[in-house]
Amino acid sequence: MTAAIEIANLKYRYHDGTEALRGITFQVAAGECVALLGPNGSGKSTLLLHLNGILPDKPANDASVKVLGETLSTRNLEAIRREVGLLFQDPDDQLFCPTVGEDVAFGPQQLELGDAEVARRVKTSLAQVGLADFAHRATHHLSHGEKRRVCLAGVLACEPGILVLDEPTSDLDPRGRREFKDLLRKIPATKLIATHDLELAVELCSRAIILDRGAVVADGVTAELLDDEELMLAHGLERPHILRHRHPH
Amino acid sequence: MHIPDGFIDGKTALVTGALSATGVALALRRVKRELPPRKIPLLGLAAAFLFAAQMVNFPVAGGTSGHLIGGALVAALLGPSAAVVVVTTVLIVQCFLFADGGVTALGANIFNMAIINSVGGYIIYQPISRWLGGIRGRVTALAFAGWCAAVIAAIACAGQLAWSGTVDWSVGFPAMAGTHMLIGIGEGLISALVFLAISRTRPEMIADTSEQSRRGMGVIGYGLLLSLGVAIFIAPFTCRWPDGLEHVATKLGFEHKATPSLIHAPVADYRIPGMTWAVGATAIAGVLGSLIVFAFAFLLGRMLVPKKAPEPANS
Amino acid sequence: MSTDWLNHHHGHAHSPVHRMPAVLKLGAALAIIIGTVIAPLQWTGWFVGVGAVLGISILLSRLPLIFLLKRLLVLSPFVLGVTLVNAFQPSARFQWQAVALKSGLCLLTVILVSNTTPFGQILRVLKLVRVPMLLITTIALMHRYLFVLVDEAERMRRARLSRTFVPSRGFHWRSLATVVGQLFIRASERAERIYDAMCARGWK
Repeated sequence: MTAAIEIANLKYRYHDGTEALRGITFQVAAGECVALLGPNGSGKSTLLLHLNGILPDKPANDASVKVLGETLSTRNLEAIRREVGLLFQDPDDQLFCPTVGEDVAFGPQQLELGDAEVARRVKTSLAQVGLADFAHRATHHLSHGEKRRVCLAGVLACEPGILVLDEPTSDLDPRGRREFKDLLRKIPATKLIATHDLELAVELCSRAIILDRGAVVADGVTAELLDDEELMLAHGLERPHILRHRHPH
Repeated sequence: MHIPDGFIDGKTALVTGALSATGVALALRRVKRELPPRKIPLLGLAAAFLFAAQMVNFPVAGGTSGHLIGGALVAALLGPSAAVVVVTTVLIVQCFLFADGGVTALGANIFNMAIINSVGGYIIYQPISRWLGGIRGRVTALAFAGWCAAVIAAIACAGQLAWSGTVDWSVGFPAMAGTHMLIGIGEGLISALVFLAISRTRPEMIADTSEQSRRGMGVIGYGLLLSLGVAIFIAPFTCRWPDGLEHVATKLGFEHKATPSLIHAPVADYRIPGMTWAVGATAIAGVLGSLIVFAFAFLLGRMLVPKKAPEPANS
Repeated sequence: MSTDWLNHHHGHAHSPVHRMPAVLKLGAALAIIIGTVIAPLQWTGWFVGVGAVLGISILLSRLPLIFLLKRLLVLSPFVLGVTLVNAFQPSARFQWQAVALKSGLCLLTVILVSNTTPFGQILRVLKLVRVPMLLITTIALMHRYLFVLVDEAERMRRARLSRTFVPSRGFHWRSLATVVGQLFIRASERAERIYDAMCARGWK
């Protein structure tokens, strides 16, 4: 069974020479939900940007990143981006159209799906994220939580098989966070979620990968990894309360 | 200097509209050709930046812009054509959304602030910065160019107001040029300081953008537009200063051919008594002023950029 | 300083004026503005007519009058200066009353239309009249990120004020330049991220 994502010895240097990724290797199976954890500066965002070819500036063609069995190269970049939906850390970066409807329609329009299909997808995705009557709203007036949900709708409208999310619940208030978590739970796609929200990781992701200073330092069952206090503290994290108190949530 | 509706008349609006449309079309074509796709969103963001920078740091009641334009700064950062597009965008949004600047006056405002200020500013900036070299040279050049651009834009504005019969040239020119010789100091100073701040934090942004602008800047196209602007809005009025010239012209029988009949200033011979000296004085002040400002810009460069500052690779 | 004025009154999107198609509104506004600028003062009929149309539209639109008045009375020093000069100038073709009247009517028209029309619709009309795509995209992006950048600038300004204890002139200009420079850098970086986000969703 082809893995959804295969990373093999991925290396990356920033323009100023610092090593951002030092030989990352892991796989994500189809349908899995994997949490990507690690302190700030560990390279999580940089890694995620490799998954749909935004980084490196010129595709390396060296099989260090394979999506659905296909090596990322200049030729299949478009196809890969159709399959991999990337949710950026700052919703303001991703929500660049004047109205909600136009922004969600952006992806399907790029896919040249025809007006009727585009409209259908916009309606479905907005309903999926609970913003069914938001199509005419102006993007700059939305609350932070609403912006995040519209971004998710915009990505879902492209119907990707793989969802890659960069800190999806940061800056959300507790209710926003709960709502977003429930949304994510209902999406059947393969998910790779970079997050500081350790509770989210435990609740949604069966597996967790810990990144520190550009290298994978742990890869295993979420609850086990996160329960290892020594491991967590050693890599700028901590044991989440949800495991500490063992309440059924 | 956003001109509202009703301050310029129909013919001025049409002529400036035509000039601006041509200039903006030219700029758009060049930007499409020269700007890498990666930088396209930067145009919109730079426009938002200009607006935000103006508004928050120089708060003027209710949304009329402060007096600074920023065309020369954006031209130094992104190249002249991109600057035209950026400032035009700012003016359009200000006009339609904030009623800052009239709809019929849009052509004039774009011509003054997007084309003259940006392209004119760049024409002054580029050779000086090349001649002086290094970051210090650029800072000096921008300080001077910012000042000049503000003054020249103001003069064109005065010309348009005079052509429309709203404000007589003999009053408008000294007033606009005079006030903007002062305002221009702020424009030049801030442009230079901001440029310096950017170059200190992100030198690669400066090196990046000036690389683009070196690839030729449509000298012919812009030059023609600017010359037309000067010919229409400034020259007919300046032709009236030198009494001596008129005198000579009469002697030689050229008097009525001096001013081309096509470009006929509306308030032909009326002069407000006592104000003609103001026009001459302003002209002289302008020339002297530019020399003084250049000297100050030079000193500013020396003061802000110590000789030992690391120079970027391609200065 | 308050940036509240940046927010428009689109909230009450229920009036007939709000609901009117943007093309009609903008077309009518343009006709009114051009007509008012060109019309000689003797055509009193025109000005009365325009005044009536605007008056009725304002009532129908249910925009608060105080709001309109505030917007109308904002006068830039430039406008003030020109009007004053014109008033004392016997030679001017237009007297200041004429200029003020024309200017006021046009201003009111623009304020009315801009506050009853969502910006996205204005963009669509621009597209209809064949404004080049690159310019429209730039305008759209400027409008979209206007508020984001103004917020950032405001936050930086407050942070700067919080650490300014000695109000010295030179320091003021230098720190102002640093803030403005920082604003540009952030805008530039955001532009790059936006480009990445556009590519991520298939933009070519």
